[in-house]
Amino acid sequence: MALRWWRWRRGCSWRPATRSPGPSSPGHAGPPGLRAASDALAQELLISTTELKEMSEYYFDGKGKAFRPIIVVLMARACNSHYNNSRDMQASQRSIALIAEMIHTASLVHDDVIDDASSRRGKHTVNKIWGEKKAVLAGDLILSAASIALARIGNTTVISILTQVIEDLVRGEFLQLGSKENENERFAHYLEKTFKKTASLIANSCKAVSVLGCPDPVVHEIAYQYGKNVGIAFQLIDDVLDFTSCSDQMGKPTSADLKLGLATGPVLFACQQFPEMNAMIMRRFSLPGDVDRARQYVLQSDGVQQTTYLAQRYCHEAVREISKLRPSPERDALIQLSEIVLTRDK
Amino acid sequence: MNLQRLLLRFPGYLGALGPPRRLWRFPSLDTISPVGPWRGQSSRSPAHWNQVVSEAEKIVGYPTSFMSLRCLLSDELSNIAMQVRKLVGTQHPLLTTARGLVHDSRHNLQLRGLVVLLISKAAGPSGVNTSQNYDTVSGIYSCQRSLAEITELIHTALLVHRGIVNLNELQSSDGPLKDMQFGNKIAILSGDFLLANACNGLALLQNTKVVELLASALMDLVQGVYHENSTSATGNYITDDIGISTWKEQTFLSHGALLAKSCQAAMELAKHDAEVQDMAFQYGKHMAMSHKINSDLQPFIKEKTSDCVTFHLNSAPVVLHQEFLGRDLWIKQIEEAQEKGRLNYAK
Repeated sequence: MALRWWRWRRGCSWRPATRSPGPSSPGHAGPPGLRAASDALAQELLISTTELKEMSEYYFDGKGKAFRPIIVVLMARACNSHYNNSRDMQASQRSIALIAEMIHTASLVHDDVIDDASSRRGKHTVNKIWGEKKAVLAGDLILSAASIALARIGNTTVISILTQVIEDLVRGEFLQLGSKENENERFAHYLEKTFKKTASLIANSCKAVSVLGCPDPVVHEIAYQYGKNVGIAFQLIDDVLDFTSCSDQMGKPTSADLKLGLATGPVLFACQQFPEMNAMIMRRFSLPGDVDRARQYVLQSDGVQQTTYLAQRYCHEAVREISKLRPSPERDALIQLSEIVLTRDK
Repeated sequence: MNLQRLLLRFPGYLGALGPPRRLWRFPSLDTISPVGPWRGQSSRSPAHWNQVVSEAEKIVGYPTSFMSLRCLLSDELSNIAMQVRKLVGTQHPLLTTARGLVHDSRHNLQLRGLVVLLISKAAGPSGVNTSQNYDTVSGIYSCQRSLAEITELIHTALLVHRGIVNLNELQSSDGPLKDMQFGNKIAILSGDFLLANACNGLALLQNTKVVELLASALMDLVQGVYHENSTSATGNYITDDIGISTWKEQTFLSHGALLAKSCQAAMELAKHDAEVQDMAFQYGKHMAMSHKINSDLQPFIKEKTSDCVTFHLNSAPVVLHQEFLGRDLWIKQIEEAQEKGRLNYAK
C-alpha cells in the first residue's frame, strides 16, 4: 500500500502528461512538479541566520507525504479546467500550495513542543534537537514567511481565506485542551476539533486556489466542501492508524493520542460498547495502565471499523462534491485520492 | 494640543534628543555619561512620563487600544487565564511575563500602539481621498486604530514566546519538569492565539501592502529575538566581537523593525505617498532604537547602585566601549574584572 501511495505521488498512474500529452509541457504537470517544491519552500524562507534557516527547513526535506500541496495543486488544475478548459496553473495557485504546507509545518513545530514529541516522519523533532526555545521561534518564523508569501499574491480575499486557517488551528488546539462529559457533545467536540486542526487548512487552501482560478462562487463552495470532507476523513484515518499501525510505518510513535490524554474516534466508539472507558476518558488516561487498557478495549471493540466507516462517509461526500466539476484528469485524480486516503497505512 | 511638539518630546523622554545618529559619535562610555542632557533625561520621574502618556492619549481620543478589553471578552483568553493560574508557584517565566503585561502596560506595552496612533494623527488624511468610507475618530482612521492594536498583539505574542524554557537545561531549582512542560504549552498556545488575532486583524484591513509590511516585521522580530537568545545563552564567552554596526542591525531587528514598519503601514493606510511613508518608518525606527539605548544606559547612570549593577555585555554602551578600546584591551579589562571577582555573568 505504501508503494501504491508512493507511486501515486510520482504520478505514474494518472499523470496527464504520460496518459495523453496535453497542451502543457510534462514539466508543468501537477504533483511531480512538487519535487521542486521543497526547494521553492527553502527559497521562500529568506533568512540570514543559518541555524534558524536550517531549523525552518528541517521538515521541508521532500520526505513528508506532501498530502496538502498535492491536493491543492490538483484542485487548482481541476478548477482551471472546469472554468476555461486550460489546465495551466497560475503562479499564485502554486504559491498557495507552498503556503499551505508552510502553515502546516509551522503548526507541526509548535504542536511537537506542546506535546513534547520526540520523533516525526522518522526523525527527531526540532525541539529535541535545538530545544524548545528555538523551536517555537522557528515555528513563528515559518508562519511569518508564509504570511509574506501570502501577501505577495496580492489578493485580499485569498488573505482572508487563509487567515481563517490560522485562527482555526489555534482554536482547534484550545478545543483539545478541554473535554466534554456528555457523550454526544464529546463526539461533536471531537469532530469540530478535527475540522479545525486538520480539515480547515485543506478546505480553505482548496477554496483559495479556486478563487484564484475561477470567478464562480459555486465552484469555490465545491472546492471547499471537497477539502473539508477529505480533510476530516484523512484525520479520522490518522486516528485509526494510531491504533492499528506500528511506529516504524508511521514515523512517529503509536498510541500517541492516548498518551497525550486524547480520546479520538476509535476510543469514542469503543466507549459505547465498554462504558467503563468513560472514567478513563475523563481522567485523560492519566493512571498507570490506562493507556494499555484503553488500547485493548479499542482493539476488542469495533471502534476501528466504525471510525473507518465514518471516514468513508466523508469521502463519499467529497467525491459527490468534486464530481460536480467538469471531467478532467485532475478531477479524477482527486476522486482517486479520496480512496487512497481511506486505504493508506502511513 | 500641540501634536508635533509631543511627538518630539517622546524620544526626549526616552533619553535621546535629536537624531540618534548623534550618539554614535561618542566613542566611549566615559564621554557619554558626563554629558548633561542624557543624565538629565533619565532623572525625570515616572510621573512626568505618565503625564506625557496621558496627554498623548487625550490627543488620540481614547486609550490606545482595546486589546486588553477584547482579550477579556474572549473564551480562549479566559481559558488561558485559568490555565495560567495553575502555574502559580512554579518557576515558569510565563508568570513573570503575565505579571508584566498587567503591571507595565501603561509604560511599555501600549507604547507602540500609542506611537502608531500619534503619527497617524500627525500625518492626517492625505490629499488622495479615495477613502470616503473610512470613518475617523479624533482624526484617526479606524483602520489605523486596528493597526495600532495589531502592533501590540505582535509585540505581546513574541514577548510570551520569548519566555519558553528549554526542558533539557532545567536545574533542580526550577521545580518539577511537568510544571515546566505545562508552562511551555500554555505559553505557546497563548502566543499563537495572539498571533492568530493579529493575522485576523491584518486580513480585515484589506490592504496587501500592509499585510506584507507587518508580516516582514514579524519575521524581523523573530530573527532579532533569536539573536538575543543565542547571545545571552552563551554566557561563557566574554562577548561576541560585534561592532556597533552589527549591534545596530540586530537591535533594529529585535526592537526597531516592528515600530518602524507599523508607522509606515499607518501612512500606507491613509494613502500617503512613499516619501511620507519613509519618514514615518524612520521616526518609528529611531524612536525604538533610542528607547533601547536608553534602557541599555540605565545601569551606568544610576548613581546609588554603584556596586551591584548588572548589565548585558551586548548592550550598546559596552559594545561602544569595546570598540573604542579595541578588542584586546577589552578582553584584558574583563579578565582583570574577573580576577577581582566582581564580574558576574548574570545577564
